[in-house]
Amino acid sequence: MNENDLSVYVITALLPLTAFMLIFQVNPYHALVMRGILGAIAALVYAVLGAADVALTEALVGTMLAITLYAVAVRSSLVMRLGILKDLSTQGERQFEQLLDDLRIILGKRHMRLEVFPYTDMQSLDQALIEKEVHAVCSQRSQPQSDFEQDYAACENDKLCFHTAVRVQRLYEIMQAELTSPGNILTYVKPSGSKEEHS
Amino acid sequence: MNLVIMAMILALLIPIYEAWKNDEVWQRMLAFASIATKTAIMALVISVLRDDWMIGIVAVIILSVGNAALMLLAHVIKRINDVSN
Repeated sequence: MNENDLSVYVITALLPLTAFMLIFQVNPYHALVMRGILGAIAALVYAVLGAADVALTEALVGTMLAITLYAVAVRSSLVMRLGILKDLSTQGERQFEQLLDDLRIILGKRHMRLEVFPYTDMQSLDQALIEKEVHAVCSQRSQPQSDFEQDYAACENDKLCFHTAVRVQRLYEIMQAELTSPGNILTYVKPSGSKEEHS
Repeated sequence: MNLVIMAMILALLIPIYEAWKNDEVWQRMLAFASIATKTAIMALVISVLRDDWMIGIVAVIILSVGNAALMLLAHVIKRINDVSN
């Protein structure tokens, strides 16, 4: 190994370099790709230093299995599930698309995705929120409830008025701070199903 | 022979820099593919230089498995973009 000493040192120096690149990643998907790069470099370093079995394990488990499993885990956890009524998108198409686009931008800042689940009627929509199938529901209430009369009066000129109920507190805080679409009423629903507060 | 290895390390630094600078995920995947193949080829060259067949076999397995891992990861990332649109 004497004549190869310098190259071995340089190859080994690549490992902390890629490790720093990995830990400074913000986006989880980019970090997964960087983890793959780190795994490839690590396998090379182990092979060069003579540990062929460790290199093989790193390539098989560290690179292949770990990043695939983590990709599936990140994909299913960084998502907001929004339940809507099936005919909502046809009734107020433009305004609703605007609302969804705003929501996508807000969630995109936090590397999250928006998944929309259509439901056939109001009852199954409410049931889905209570049974934690979705994180939030967006609907167009025709008969205003007494709590929201003021809000409905505010958007009476604009006939399309959406009511979004969120059951995750952190999502509610984020949406309350940043979602400024006109004609959207945001409420926080406690997991038990009782309505707490509204804005 | 040391020069060959040093040239390969320099070539390896190009996709690493690319993966660091580029913000798009597919550009990073390209850099990942490049790095995974380059490291396996480097291990193969080193195994020939040292006349060590154990490292050579491992390098061949890493070369083939790296491509499989890349395909799996690319498929999952493609599905993420499909669902969000």
